[in-house]
Amino acid sequence: MKDLSKIVKKCFLGILLITTISCSDDFIDVPPTQENSEDYFNSEEDYQNALIGAYDLLQSTYLNVMLGEIASDNTLAGGESATDVSGIQQVDDMIQTPVNAQLRDIWSWMFAGVNRANYIMEFQDKTDFEGKDLVLAQARFLRAYYYFELVKWFGDVPLVVDQRILFGQQFEIDRTPKAEVYAQIEQDLIYAADILPYFQAETGRVTKGAAQALLGKVYLFQDKFSESANVLESVINNGPYDLLSDYSTMFENDNENNIESVFEVQYTDVQGAGFGCLQCSEGNVAVGFSGIRNYSVEPGSVGDIFKSGFSFNVPVQEVYDAFEENDIRRDVAILDIVTWAAEVNATYVEGYEHTGFYNRKYLPRTGGLNTGDSNLTNPNNYRSIRFADVLLMAAEALNRGGIDESRARLYLNRVRVRANLSEVSSSGTALTSDIYQDRRLELVGEGHRFFDLVRTNRAAQEIEGFMTGKNEVFPIPSIEINLTGNRWEQNPGY
Amino acid sequence: MRQSYFLVLFLLISTLAYNQTLEVSGNITNVNGLPLSGVTVYQPETNNGVISDFDGNFVINNIKVGSDLEFSFLGFIDKIVKVNNNNMMNVILTEDLESLDEVVVVGYGTQKKKELTGAVSIVSSQTIEDLTPTRVEQALQGQVSGVNITSQSGSPGSALNIRIRGISTNGDNRPLILVDGNVIEDLSVVTPSDIETITVLKDATAGIYGVRAANGVVLITTKSGKLNSELKLDVNIYGGFQNTTRELPALNATEYGLLINESFAANGQDLVYTNISELGKGTDWQNEVFQNALILNQDFTLRGGTKKSTYALGSSLLTQDGIIGGGKSNFTRYNTRLSFNTEIFKNLNFKSGLIYTGTRRKVLPENSLGSVLFNALNNSPVLKVKDETGQYTISEGLGNEVINPIAQIENTFNKTNVEKLSGNFGLNYKFLNHFSAESNIQFNYAKVEGEFFNPVAFYGSGKVFNRDRSEYSETKSTFNDYTFDAVINYENTINENHNLKVTIGTSVFKTEGEFSGSIGFDIPGNSNENASLENATDITNFYPLGNPTFDSRLLSYFGRLFYNYKEKYLFSAIIRRDGSTKFGPENRFGYFPTASAGWVLSDESFLENAEAISFLKIRSSYGILGNDRIPDYRYVSLLNGQGEYVINGELVVGIAIGALSNPQIKWEQQQSFDIGFDARLFNNQVTIAADYFDRKTKDLLLIPEISGTLGGTAPGSGAPIINGGDVRNSGFEFQIGYNHQVTDDLSFSLNYNFTTLENEVLSVDNSLGYISGGSFGIGQTDVARMEVGLPIGYFNGLKTNGIFQNQAEVDAHPSQVALGAIAQPGDLRFVDVNNDGVIDENDKTNIGNPIPDITMGFNVTLDYKNFDFQMYLFASIGNELVRNYERNLSLTNRTIYDLGRWTGEGTSNEVPRVTTGATSNAVFSDYFVEDGSYIRAQNMQIGYSFPKSKLDKIGVDKLRIYTSVSNAFTLTKYRGYDPTASSGNPIGGGFDNGFYPTPRTFLLGVNFKL
Repeated sequence: MKDLSKIVKKCFLGILLITTISCSDDFIDVPPTQENSEDYFNSEEDYQNALIGAYDLLQSTYLNVMLGEIASDNTLAGGESATDVSGIQQVDDMIQTPVNAQLRDIWSWMFAGVNRANYIMEFQDKTDFEGKDLVLAQARFLRAYYYFELVKWFGDVPLVVDQRILFGQQFEIDRTPKAEVYAQIEQDLIYAADILPYFQAETGRVTKGAAQALLGKVYLFQDKFSESANVLESVINNGPYDLLSDYSTMFENDNENNIESVFEVQYTDVQGAGFGCLQCSEGNVAVGFSGIRNYSVEPGSVGDIFKSGFSFNVPVQEVYDAFEENDIRRDVAILDIVTWAAEVNATYVEGYEHTGFYNRKYLPRTGGLNTGDSNLTNPNNYRSIRFADVLLMAAEALNRGGIDESRARLYLNRVRVRANLSEVSSSGTALTSDIYQDRRLELVGEGHRFFDLVRTNRAAQEIEGFMTGKNEVFPIPSIEINLTGNRWEQNPGY
Repeated sequence: MRQSYFLVLFLLISTLAYNQTLEVSGNITNVNGLPLSGVTVYQPETNNGVISDFDGNFVINNIKVGSDLEFSFLGFIDKIVKVNNNNMMNVILTEDLESLDEVVVVGYGTQKKKELTGAVSIVSSQTIEDLTPTRVEQALQGQVSGVNITSQSGSPGSALNIRIRGISTNGDNRPLILVDGNVIEDLSVVTPSDIETITVLKDATAGIYGVRAANGVVLITTKSGKLNSELKLDVNIYGGFQNTTRELPALNATEYGLLINESFAANGQDLVYTNISELGKGTDWQNEVFQNALILNQDFTLRGGTKKSTYALGSSLLTQDGIIGGGKSNFTRYNTRLSFNTEIFKNLNFKSGLIYTGTRRKVLPENSLGSVLFNALNNSPVLKVKDETGQYTISEGLGNEVINPIAQIENTFNKTNVEKLSGNFGLNYKFLNHFSAESNIQFNYAKVEGEFFNPVAFYGSGKVFNRDRSEYSETKSTFNDYTFDAVINYENTINENHNLKVTIGTSVFKTEGEFSGSIGFDIPGNSNENASLENATDITNFYPLGNPTFDSRLLSYFGRLFYNYKEKYLFSAIIRRDGSTKFGPENRFGYFPTASAGWVLSDESFLENAEAISFLKIRSSYGILGNDRIPDYRYVSLLNGQGEYVINGELVVGIAIGALSNPQIKWEQQQSFDIGFDARLFNNQVTIAADYFDRKTKDLLLIPEISGTLGGTAPGSGAPIINGGDVRNSGFEFQIGYNHQVTDDLSFSLNYNFTTLENEVLSVDNSLGYISGGSFGIGQTDVARMEVGLPIGYFNGLKTNGIFQNQAEVDAHPSQVALGAIAQPGDLRFVDVNNDGVIDENDKTNIGNPIPDITMGFNVTLDYKNFDFQMYLFASIGNELVRNYERNLSLTNRTIYDLGRWTGEGTSNEVPRVTTGATSNAVFSDYFVEDGSYIRAQNMQIGYSFPKSKLDKIGVDKLRIYTSVSNAFTLTKYRGYDPTASSGNPIGGGFDNGFYPTPRTFLLGVNFKL
């Protein structure tokens, strides 16, 4: 017994000693249990997966579309009250300051998209596989798309190409002159248009047509009319697009990715979402925000095609009245809620700045999955570039560039005839005005108007409170200036 | 009982001659009648002494009548008894709760209380017994200075925040908690009645725990059996009910109708209620949601010991319903524990413990916009609970977030089950006289399973809680950790006076876990009975890229030296080296040194004759502690972001970078300084401890605002963690106790403590100068900040200066339109803090903070004959709270405080007008900030113990019945439910969104021992 006792005690001391010594520093040398971003891109699948990540931020452009529309003379902010999302209210009244949460969202989300595209580009040479150029072309299109948004909203922005902006580098980057950013956007889109096909096996992916149309638009924003007309006419002549014959079905959820759709941001309602991370929603958040406040109707009745929402982005009487009486687009674009509610026996509540009108193109529709929060998960795709837009841009480039007025009229009239309007025969500046007017009505509610007014120098005359020399771009969020080291000049006037 | 001891003494007085020697025998028990074995019985100034046996019996010879016998036992007050000529003697020893010889657990070892050089507070099992807390943290509130407990919610099973000496980081401020050496993150698994002592290490002497010690360390030891004791059964049963301490004075239907009409009229709209007289009182929604709720607890413990082994076996069950929703917010905890310690061979001891705990918890939406209480406050009193057809009424027109709270309770289904197994095994071997080696392994295994069912529900058009599609989700997380400690101690007294204790050791800790979960839709019948993934459609995994896992480790070496000279000059030094996987290879290891010293002045000759001073010690400590409480692997960017897009009509899951990395992160460092003294005065009747502390936290681990160009706002991404600021917490702690035995039948004790706290942010290193957080109302952010020169988490809002009384005043004031609306008479007048001629976001300033300036505890215990009485009070002064439970929409209800609104010039300078028109009155301002100071009666209790003489006949050692009320009353000016409201967030805490109040609990209990 005594021997056993000694043995046990000695063993205990021995084990203690051994375990203590064997606990070397290697014990804490463990790799992370999840994949490290620096060790990726080892297969085609890795590239494809990262590309999906780069596409993801397209969905957050819902805010650009909604806020862009509200900034224009087409709609008012609305919402629940004067203080409901004050950043949106300010932009509506053109009193935005450098402290504006929504402008900061746009800034941050678009740069998030740029970084995700650049993440792929940073590792573009790591692994080779067949079809890699197709991946890179999509990535470069996406980078161009996000940068185009950034220059539209903020003017000069930091341009970083083929590498992520890593923590610490924000103190070194400067705002790049807009022209240089545009040059990069053009290069990316030319590359994408070169590589990509008109038809992608999978809907939702960027196509040659999308790259060309966006390139044409980018040229137009710089008044490069001939380049613009050139590439846009290539879309018209070579692309597989046409106007949808029945305009009224254009924005319905069962008619997505139709023949008129050149580029469409894809949304779905299969996944839930919350206010904590609006950019994380796989649905179109702008749709719920634009919905009819407290809309209620007998289930199954005629009026049971819309769902309620937060009554933002409400069209004004003036744009409703701008449509000609027989223009079939008016009642597709704008819902006269007073008449409608009476007709279908629906109830609703008047929100702030109630105009009696709603942006019907992007109202919440019934019939989806309504995954909660169902206000944030509406599946309505955003028709980013429609063929009608391409035709009108081409018409504008041909007309304003003095290139070919007959083709300009031809394209304009294609759009007008589809809308049940007579053809125009105007020319010169009268034709320009006709194009502008039709562009407004064709695209009302789609987020283009403010930027069209700015690039054609008509914003001051059309938008109340717009100050020339200031409001062409929005303020850089002051917090962004602070957080990059207080080196950047604020945009003039802010 | 004490009384019987005196009885015995008096009865035994007789006429024995003084010089007679005799054999004295007797029995020694504690006040509860439990026999005490191992008590030293001796005649002072002789060598004559014996030790009491297993049953507390002793026999001692050669005792002269009239001489003294002294009884001493560790942890008990010494007692001297004069020997009369009766040779039978029954002695009762009183436990010395504040004994200087008491051994205090200080981490990897113990120290005598007298020898402590650190700021250490102790809560005894007696206090815990008196408080009958449902959670361990409640036993700390107000008991010890420097420790502040706030509740995250009053709902059953909700966690409490423990903050030791202030808020030192804007990250995780939780202290390190060890139960019998085992790291425990969630104290809900510990049954309070199992606890022997709670020791709180508040200063740098916590440095033995190195990188995890910066927020303080709480050491809990649980009860085990005692050597040489009979098998004892200890049973506690209590039950009672809980109710709310407060209902807010919401408007009744008539008052509501009038005010609504006024607000519509003010905006030129038609009146809503044309016949006010029909409205009556309407529905009192708070009355509808609050209820009396049951609470029931039973636990038993079997304890005993042989000559070489001790054992304990216990089990407990607690079930508690909520004061909102009853069983829908039930919390149930069951627990079984086992401990066994034995001497395997001489000098080789084995100890072991095993605890199994299960908890079941259901919760209702609480403490947030849209919570049940929020709805009860804001829903219209004109609405009935159900309409004529028996359907729940819908809250049309009340805003998108306010719904019928009863319907909400009805539609809430969830359940979280936790199963946890914790254990420890250890060996201790004493060798070569002065050495001992100890090795312990502790482990925790926990499985957390959640089930959530959200049925299809309609609460009114546009409500954000409407659900058109039922959904059911399941989550499961598992956590595994182990700690292995190996320690060698050397203890020796050299030349009689030099006492030396050296400890060196190593510790490894590893924790790993996995998270999983899935969601499905369209549950048949929309019913909770059918809610399962099998019955659901469109099932999606929460983690399409695979379940997240973690593996985090800590490797430590430490050494400690205790040295004292004659127990008079005390010195201790600690050094610890820690390596943590939370940091990158360059910053993985760190050293944490601590030194402390004490001087027992009362042992010096110049104080020896100071009669008033029984004991006086001054002490001081300084050290550097660490904090590594951040998520794992933040030194690299992982592909755990969200990258999803719709391709071909299907949601495709790609990859994306998660939170951004910062390869440079290292732990935050705390420089902790403490100076204080402990004193006992007037024959130990008065005890005092006082401390001044100054804790500077450097290189705070925080998540800063970062430039949007970095892409941190992408889905699933986030800002990196940086070491980006310094915070200082300083203050005084003072604790005084007074014990007095007034007569044989009456004794009482008083304890009072206070802690002052000053919190100041010294630097914020992100080129912005502040970090913002919190949210107010709907979507108002940047309402709380961490900013240099101010307390962490101060409220950042507009200052008001009364109400505009007339248009002239409006015109004379800077424009407020940038806030959203043009001001009108009756609106709040905001102060143009930066004097730029406009009122806007830039005028936001410091309008209060949620950190109390001073907290206090006051405790009284009183024993009279067989009755005992305790009262525990707690006060918190100087903390502010933000009233954020009012929705402020046209038709939402209000409180009667709004009846004092402005209705015309001179009517009010405090409460703005009511109108449905646009105003800026709801912008975050000091109008919403209230003084949250309070005094609360934590617990009051009266007990009666049956006389031992009667119990002996039925073989019971102790039988005590008691009744108690906890949270009996709260004195406060705060208008909300509960001034203890706090999310615990360093930035953004103190916003009261309709806080689930801590209930008032009435209990009836019985405690018996066999």
